Amino acid sequence: MSKITLDLFRFDPAVDAEPHRDRVDIDFPETSTVLDALEYAKAEVDGSISFRRSCRSAICGSCSMNINGVTGLACKTPISTVLRADRSVRIDPMPNFQPMKDMVVHMDPFWDKYSRLKPYLQPKDKDEDHERERRVSPEDMRKLVAVANCVMCATCYALCPVVSVDPSFAGPAAISYAYRFIEDVRDDKRKERLGQISDDYLWLCAHCYACSYCPKHVEPHDRIIDTKRASVKEGLIDAAGPRHALVFAKTVKQKGVLDENEVVVGTVGRFNFRGLAAIAPLGLRMAIKGKIPPLILHPIDKVGEVRTIFDTLEVPVA
Amino acid sequence: MIQHDVVVVGGGLAGMRAAVEAAEAGADVAIVSKMHPVRSHSGAAQGGINAALGNREDDSPENHAFDCVKGSDYLGDQDAIEAMTDDAPRQIVWLEHRGCIFSRMPDGRIAQRPFGGAGSPRTCYSADVTGLVILHTLWEQLERFGVKVYEEYFATALCVEDGVGAGVVAYNMRTGELELVSAKATIFATGGLGRVYAKTTNGYASTGDGMAIAYRAGIPLMDMEFVQFHPTSLKVNGVLLSEAARGEGAYLLNKDGERFMFKYAPNKGELASRDVVSRAEWTEILEGRGVDGCVFLDLRHLGREKILERLPQIRELALDATGLDAIDTPIPILPGMHYAMGGIETDKFGATKIPGVYAAGECACVSVHGANRLGGNSLLETIVFGSRSARHAVEYIKSQGSVRRSDRTLQSEQERIAGILARSGGERHSQVRKAMNAAMSENVFIFRDAAGLGTAVDALRKVRDSAKTMTVADKSKTFNTDLVGLLETEFLVDIAQAIAHGALSRTESRGAQARTDFPDRDDEKWLVHSRFNYTGDDPRIDYDRKVTMTKWEPTVRTY
Repeated sequence: MSKITLDLFRFDPAVDAEPHRDRVDIDFPETSTVLDALEYAKAEVDGSISFRRSCRSAICGSCSMNINGVTGLACKTPISTVLRADRSVRIDPMPNFQPMKDMVVHMDPFWDKYSRLKPYLQPKDKDEDHERERRVSPEDMRKLVAVANCVMCATCYALCPVVSVDPSFAGPAAISYAYRFIEDVRDDKRKERLGQISDDYLWLCAHCYACSYCPKHVEPHDRIIDTKRASVKEGLIDAAGPRHALVFAKTVKQKGVLDENEVVVGTVGRFNFRGLAAIAPLGLRMAIKGKIPPLILHPIDKVGEVRTIFDTLEVPVA
Repeated sequence: MIQHDVVVVGGGLAGMRAAVEAAEAGADVAIVSKMHPVRSHSGAAQGGINAALGNREDDSPENHAFDCVKGSDYLGDQDAIEAMTDDAPRQIVWLEHRGCIFSRMPDGRIAQRPFGGAGSPRTCYSADVTGLVILHTLWEQLERFGVKVYEEYFATALCVEDGVGAGVVAYNMRTGELELVSAKATIFATGGLGRVYAKTTNGYASTGDGMAIAYRAGIPLMDMEFVQFHPTSLKVNGVLLSEAARGEGAYLLNKDGERFMFKYAPNKGELASRDVVSRAEWTEILEGRGVDGCVFLDLRHLGREKILERLPQIRELALDATGLDAIDTPIPILPGMHYAMGGIETDKFGATKIPGVYAAGECACVSVHGANRLGGNSLLETIVFGSRSARHAVEYIKSQGSVRRSDRTLQSEQERIAGILARSGGERHSQVRKAMNAAMSENVFIFRDAAGLGTAVDALRKVRDSAKTMTVADKSKTFNTDLVGLLETEFLVDIAQAIAHGALSRTESRGAQARTDFPDRDDEKWLVHSRFNYTGDDPRIDYDRKVTMTKWEPTVRTY
């Protein structure tokens, strides 16, 4: 047992104009989880402390919250790993969500991202043609296993900086779930799903790796890359996002360094005169201030080695 | 005003399976659930789901049925068991056709593993997250059919008008308002009651809501004394480590490193039925062959690769909770409250005593598990009886006119909840729950006797009295989990009393009911189900329902 202070975000819109903070002191073992501490504080000190929870074994996904500035499952976070120097733990609701009360947030925008995906198998052939199960090789099924572990806790969504600036971004969890169907050999809608997820701003992902902190090892960031690759492979490249990725790779492969002017033109579209005209004023202002990158860029000396890397990794280029 | 043809209370596997069945049949169906469906505790089921697919070895529904009958210690109703095992292969194929991610054999068929008490390897699985993948598959089907889910609505009472079920009253947690959810047919699928005990593998949400609601409305509970203690829950926090570990070959060891199970089950060893293994563990501990009140689950010989491929979740759960890596260290475990064999009395179609009211899954007692459930049969029960009850309900509503509105139930619930919020001076509900947990954990555990059970029954009467005046600290209308916690505690107290009284009244040992003062099974007197009728005080118990037998006469049960 040791003295621990829970430094809690408190907000009940029915009575509070503004959120405030409460400090709740408890005697509690540090080896327990943050959820255990909250549950104890609610039972023994203040019954009005509000949070969602159920399984306490990282499978129901209810108790994601912000602990000392990092979002994660309270039931999977030992107190000892987050105790600050003053023996307190700061607890807030997940960011990227509207608070409903204390650590409880409005989840609907998160669930809506899934609904848009038509998240159910649309098989290639009729069920009636199969008296028994459809046969799927262990290797094909294994591709889906990482996403099958997702508990939809929204930790990745709360951590995503793209969601914070553009709430319409599908977010890492929903893209991963889309990938689960895209890679399912039984599903008939691979191309439609890839097209739709591309429209849902797949390409807005900034590859910041924030979502690689996943409590269930889904590695949503890797699933986003997988989905982008699958999308390019299916020829879904007629949009700014894929054009940017492909021309970016092309210039590096050709020259060993990034050709920024080429990336801009290639992303907007070489024959997209209206698009190019729209960014022309920006180009002009950059030119006046001397910020235009060199117009002619020569390949670096050892560009052959760079090209070998690209070929070995089979990186798609424009 | 909310109104549907069929309302399902609970969004776990049984509830969603029922809703999908009703939706496929074209019925107007909705789910009322105190949490989002994917949060349901069904997702915590790890090891698998039984069906005689015969993918690994020759098998048949009849073999499966016999294993269930024997596992139930002959208390299961054999007609219901046969209905379940006959339907099992079709239901697994149904799930697979809807995209369920099952682990596969090299030829692409669904993989199957051995499980406790089973004559052949018939447990279909997805590594050790089987409940989760099925939960997701069913939620996907809700999305497909656009089934309306009243999410974070806590059901408080059943509506009965003209002697038939008419929906429920539910507390909308987001607005703090009670709402009438009217329906021609109501299906309870609210899961388990683990929170009756202090230590349980169950989540915080497993508070027996549907059981208590039906019980209060006059539907009997059945076989409540049969509580399953799972042999392998983590010593530190009671979290489940799947039977799949032993199915894959893990050992149970005592303090001397001895595989003690063969002393108790010479043929099956670690893969005897759960009641047998839990009693064996507890005996080892009581006789001084445990370490700090526990024994060990040893996975080491399975090797890193097999553990990471087939049991990754339980390895991580043990690692998170204890810091011990099952790949190179035995894990301290002990038996922990896991499952209720008992529940709302139904027939083999899920129908209860009140027309238009059904129950399926753990909250129901059909009975397919009798005195002891076999691993891998709980998921199966949710799927089979979820769909059967919905099919029956969809037929039933065709004979019904318009939906009956039970405004009087809504009004009485509004008054009841207002009364609770206005209370002051009584104990906090968390303290009442603690007293109940203590009574159950001390005296209604693996081994029972009249003295201990009498103590528990007395203690629970006091608990019931204090429950009448218990209070909440939170009076807010917004997401009041304090109020919901109090209402759950009320439900749990009803259920705890049924369990304790049932255990005291049944003077025999059968399956999970082990009476040290009545150590033998008594088929002359006790091949009957226990039925609990609500009185507002001690339950009134009758034994008028006999066990249904089709093919199998009771014989001596050994593993």
